[in-house]
This record gives sequence, structure tokens and C-alpha cells, in this order.
Amino acid sequence: MNLRKHIYKVVVLVWLLGLSVAIAAPSDDLKAANQLYDAGKFAEATVAYERIESKTAHVYYNLGNAWFRQNKLGLAILNYAQARRLAPRDPDILANLKFAQQRLGVDDVNTPPHALQRFLRSAIESCTASEWSAGELVGIWLLALAIGACVYLPKARTALLVIAVAGFFVFGFSGFALSNLVISNHSSPEAIVVAGETEARFAPLSDSTVHFRLAEGTQVAIREDRGQWLFVGRADGQQGWVKAEAIGRITNF
Amino acid sequence: MRFCVIIGFLLAATRVFADVSVVASVDRNRISFGESVTLTVAVQGAHNGDPSIPKVDGLTFNGPSTSTSFSFVNGQTSQSISYTYQVTPERTGEFIIPAIGVDVAGKSYLTVPIKLVVEKGGSQGELGQALFGRVSLSSQQVYIGQTAPLDVYVYSRADVPLHGFGGFNYQAEGLGFKNLPNLKSDTKVIDGQAFKVYVIQGAVSPTTTGVLNFGPCILKTQLAVQNRGRAWPGDSLLEEMMGRTQVREVPITIDALPITVLPLPEEGRPSDFSGAVGQWNLEVTAKPAEVAVGDPITFTIKISGNGNIDTVPTPKLGALDEFKTYDPTTKTTKDDLNTTGERVIQQVLIARSPEVKQLPNVRLVYFDPVAKAYKTAVQAPIKLVVKAGSGSQSTIVSGGYRLRPEEKLGQDIVYLKGDLGPVAPATPFCATPTFWVLNTMPVLALLGGMGWKRRSDRFRGDVAYARRMRAAKDARKLLVAATNYDEVQHALQNYLGDRLNIPAAGITASIAEEQLLPRGVNSELAADLKACFETCDTARFAGGSADTGLAATRENVERLIDELEKTHL
Repeated sequence: MNLRKHIYKVVVLVWLLGLSVAIAAPSDDLKAANQLYDAGKFAEATVAYERIESKTAHVYYNLGNAWFRQNKLGLAILNYAQARRLAPRDPDILANLKFAQQRLGVDDVNTPPHALQRFLRSAIESCTASEWSAGELVGIWLLALAIGACVYLPKARTALLVIAVAGFFVFGFSGFALSNLVISNHSSPEAIVVAGETEARFAPLSDSTVHFRLAEGTQVAIREDRGQWLFVGRADGQQGWVKAEAIGRITNF
Repeated sequence: MRFCVIIGFLLAATRVFADVSVVASVDRNRISFGESVTLTVAVQGAHNGDPSIPKVDGLTFNGPSTSTSFSFVNGQTSQSISYTYQVTPERTGEFIIPAIGVDVAGKSYLTVPIKLVVEKGGSQGELGQALFGRVSLSSQQVYIGQTAPLDVYVYSRADVPLHGFGGFNYQAEGLGFKNLPNLKSDTKVIDGQAFKVYVIQGAVSPTTTGVLNFGPCILKTQLAVQNRGRAWPGDSLLEEMMGRTQVREVPITIDALPITVLPLPEEGRPSDFSGAVGQWNLEVTAKPAEVAVGDPITFTIKISGNGNIDTVPTPKLGALDEFKTYDPTTKTTKDDLNTTGERVIQQVLIARSPEVKQLPNVRLVYFDPVAKAYKTAVQAPIKLVVKAGSGSQSTIVSGGYRLRPEEKLGQDIVYLKGDLGPVAPATPFCATPTFWVLNTMPVLALLGGMGWKRRSDRFRGDVAYARRMRAAKDARKLLVAATNYDEVQHALQNYLGDRLNIPAAGITASIAEEQLLPRGVNSELAADLKACFETCDTARFAGGSADTGLAATRENVERLIDELEKTHL
């Protein structure tokens, strides 16, 4: 019985350690920035939000609102996207992101064309990397314990195999989602077009031919970085070179 | 006797090779277009050959099929081989089948050139009565921008062995013709004769004005013909299976159809005409018809009818000043030939004030090619009841922290967050050593557990292994507890018995030496072991002479056990 209690404590401890999340007390800086926002001083509020060092999902969200009120919808979308990375299931963040995208007419452009891609993307983006990490750990432990128990408890083999299969799927999908997040973050980090309509060109030269135009708020993946020029791809697969100043990177992972 | 016959036969055969002749012939020199001739290359005096059929522009050679014959009459032998080809002309005119080279036993022979005349009429006319096509267009006058159905009909008399179609080539410059890939078929009686009718369904969408020709068209039909080249109505499937018939492509030509493409008339053209051509219906709906200020109204415009839907622009709406508008969404569906279509445009409108009484009217101007006139479809304004909004100044409490304005989801952004919320770690969990340690642990634990299980199973099932594994441990326990030489020797015997998996009780110095030396134990160690046994025996049986010290003997036995543990037995 004591052993079980110890195991329970260890599991809880590991879980908490895995999440590595602490609940912060309301910040005076945030309050001050919110007061500026309420007073209609959106530009000042933006600066105040930017100054907050510990950027949580809520700070990014409020910053997005401040940009939205200044009619800088590209920057608003960028900050909502940053916030969503940290709190992917927050309904307020999702609502404002969607609303800003709809206002700019880019919600369709930012959606992958194929149903399977849409499903995978929404599934992967429904959790943070840390949550997927925890899921992956739960899966691998379930799998290993169930297989190990099969050896010592042959009578319970059927039930243990079911647990092992469940663990395998949890481990597999969490691992897939986690690796997808990690790989995409490193190989083609996501970004938002924050300037107005931006021209994507065939080559990283100012006088090269325009391939297509990216509306403000369009989500792109950065495939190559050449300093002043970025080679970006849109959700529909179109790729082109854009000026780096027109793009805001989603930095949170 | 038999030997003589064989020799005679070989001599005759040798003589035959000396008289090789090669002849090429056709079954007819004059045929009608659509027929084929049989070309036979006969090699007399040999049982094989290798004809090289030359390429002739306008002629297609299919084959060969071969037949051989051999006869032995009155001591005279003769043999021949014939190569048969089906020659099909692709056009009318005179053709020369040049000399055909035949290689027989390394020697080349040439045939005489053959003349072949292919002419119109005759059988072609006969076939033309039984297999022909025509083009059908509802009106020979079409307007630019109009999409008009144009069908190609192929009539095949019931006795024509038509197997299928090999291709359809047409000239339709400026007409924008496209057709469906699958044919429609039907039967029809013409002048008392049953015909099968195949229809290639298509449509023209002229892109230029003037008199344009659709055609001539060439449709490649596939007919079952006898090997001698003529289509034979009534050929049975059995005959075809037996190889008497073969499927051959016969092109039929369909005469061109002149089509007059007219420009859209200038007269009566409304100023807001945007190029829509066809016969269109306009339907407009709005839901809900009773709303509060700020509530969205879905305004749906549906245009459907005959014509090219791609030419139909989004209809113009009347005054929209009283509404807040969003970009419309458009969904277009059309048939494969683009002769009918439907476009549904949905637009979200939000009334700005309760004074709004109706939705804007919708107007679509198009040209009707059947009526040959411009028409305007106008939808009367839909009545609307707009009530005052529920007010936007109310406040709600958020988490007891502060008051905030009411959130209107979908019409404005959601208000600020009042607290910092969860702080994410600077390093994602997956990049921490903890994550990787926790990932590795179950794998190692699983491998360890499986190894332990395997060892336990072996302990239970393999007695020799179990004894060997615990030999030193048990022996040391006995040595520690030993108070006399008998017990020391017993410990040594037990150790050797467990290590060697033999009964411990009977082990003596000589037995130990016999067992250990073949297993690779060095002679010095074996000698020490023997000496130890002797010391114990002397002390046990002789008394005083072995009184050199029990402790020293015990240490010696421990050393021997250590040495033996290092040795693989």
C-alpha cells in the first residue's frame, strides 16, 4: 500500500515537472497596460505590453488586441498566433484570431486545402509541445509497463495488451505531433505577413517578377532565410521570396 | 535400308535448296477505300525465310501469318512457306509495294514490285450507306459568348459489324468545342432499316464571329473484317474467335457544318450589361427577415439556367449605405459541357439602424440568344423588420477582477485578459534532460525486467546453471562456519560439485584433478587443489602431522575458490 502511495506521488511529481508550468500572480505591469488600453491609448498600451518581460499567452493576447485597435491587423494576428502557441485551447484567443483573419479575409488562405491536412494541423495545434511531450511519456510508460506486466502476469494478458495498444497509440500520435512541431519549428518556422499586401517574387531581388501577392495576416512557413529576403510558402503550397521586414515570426515553441 | 532412305532424303533436300524461288502477290490490285488486300510472300523450296516488308506511305501492313507445306511424291520432295499480310490503305490513290527482300539460308531474294490502286466508290459507297455520321446543332446561328449544344451522330446499320470507335478528330477553329468522353447510344429505323445510333455529346462556345465550320470530322470506326479484307455483315463471333475475322479501323468522314457566329447586338444593349449570355433565372432570399440592429442577415442570390455560367457576373445590389457588408461567398456549379449552371452568392449584411425597412434590390442584365434580345431580371426588394439593438453599454464581471464591456463574439474582438496566466517554461519540456531520462527509463526497465525474467526462468529450469551460479557463495558460507578440517573439505567438495555439476560427496583429490585438467585448469592450480585435499585428509585421519593450522587451510581453500571462479570451466 505504501509502495502504491509512493508511486502515486512520483507520478504526480513527474507530471508536474513535465508540464513545468507555474501560475503567476497578476502583474502590475499588465494592469497598467490594460488601463492604458481602457483609456483608448492603444499605442501606449502596445509599448507597455511589449515591455513586459515574461510574455505569457495573456500578454500576447492583450498585445494583439492593442494592435487590433490600431487597425494593425497583421500584427494583431501575429500576437494572437503567438498566444495560441502557448495556450492553444483558449477560446478568447481562438475567437480573436479567427475574427481578425476574417476581417482581413485570410482565414481561408491560412487553411490547408486538404481535409486530412486540416485535421492533422488542428489536432497538432490543439496542444503545446510540452503537453505533447507529457502525452508521449504517458504513452511510452503505459506501453512498457503493460508489456512488462504481460511477462509476469500471463493471466491478465488480454487486458494488458489492450493497455499496451492504447499506450502505443498515445505514444505514437504524441510523438508524431511533437516531432512535427519540433521539425516545423526548426526547418520551416511559421510567420505572419504583418505589412500590407506583400509581393512574393520568383527571386530574392527587388526587380524580379512578382509570383503572387500575400495579403496582410497570411500565415506562411519560412523555408529559407537570406537576411533581407525570406523564401516563404503559403498553406496552399505557393512559394516565393518576400522582404523580411514584411514578415513577423511566431517565436514561441 | 533405312540409312539409304535417309541419305536419299537428304540429297533430295539439298537439291530442293538449290531451287529456291520467292514470289509476292496480292489477291486484288484494285480495291475501294475502306477495304484491305492480302499480300502473300511465298518461298518455294525452303521451310523458312525472313521477308523484310518495306514501309510504304499510306499503306499499313499487319501480319504476318505463316503457313508451310511439305510433300514427298515419287521420291521427289517439295516444300514451301507462305507469309501473309493484311494491307490496309489510309487514303485513295496508286501505291507501289516495292520489291520485298527475303533472306533464305543466308542468301537474299527479291520479289517483283506490285501495283495497288485504291479508289473511292464501289464498296465504300455501299459501306457509306450502312455507316455514316452527321453533325447536329440546334440553330446554325449562335451568338458569341453563347454555349450551344452540338452533337455528332453516328449511324450504323444493324448488320454492320461495328465493334467500337478508335478516335475522333475534328476541326472547330474559333468554336471552342468540347465533348463528353462517353458516347450515348440508341436505335432508330431509317427507311425501314434498323440503325444503331451513337451520339457524341458536345457544345460549342464561339470565341470569334463570322461563318465558322465545324468539321470535317474523321471518326475511326472499328469493324470486324474477314481476312481477305472486306467487312462482312453477319460474321459470327465464333468466326472471329476462330481467327477468320479481325478488327480493323475504318475512318468515316463527316462533312463540315457551317455555323454563323453573330456578335451581340448593339441595339437595345443596357448600359450595365456585363456579358452574361443565356437564359437565366434569378432568385433572392434573406434570412432572417426580422432582426435586431447589429444582427447579421444572410442575403442569398441564386442564378440558374441555360448558358455559360462563367459569363454571369455577380449581380449588382442597390443602395447598401444602410448596411454594414462583408465580402460575399460564391459557389458555382455547372455541367461538364458548361451548357447549364448555377451560381449561389451569399452575403452577410448588418442593418445599421432600426429605420432600415427593406433589403436592396438585385438586378441582372443578360442576353437571351433564343429570344435574341437583352433581358433584365430584377428582384423586388425584400421587406425587413429591424428592431433596436439590445444595447452595447452593459457590463459584466470577469473573474471578480474587474468590470469590462460586453463581448460580442463574431462582431468584435474579445476583451483583454486581466491576469498573466500560466507562465510557460523558457525551455520546452521536450528539450530538457528530464524528458529524455523519463523516456529512456521505461525502455531500460523493460529490458531489465525481461533479462531478470530470463535469468529466473533459467535458474528454475537449468540445474547445472543454478548450481554453478551459487557455488562460490554457498562454499564461502560453509567455509566461514567450518570449525574443523572435515567441514573445510566438505566446503571444497560442495564447491567443486556445484561448479562441475557432479555429486559432491564422492569428490576426492584425484577425481578433482581428473575433472579439472581437461577443462583447462592449469596444472599448478590442480596441484594446489590436490595438496589441499591431502592436507585435509591428513589432518582428519593422521592427526598431528596436519596440525599446521585450520585457518591457513581455510584461507588456502578460499584462494583456490577465487582462482577457480576466474577460470571458465
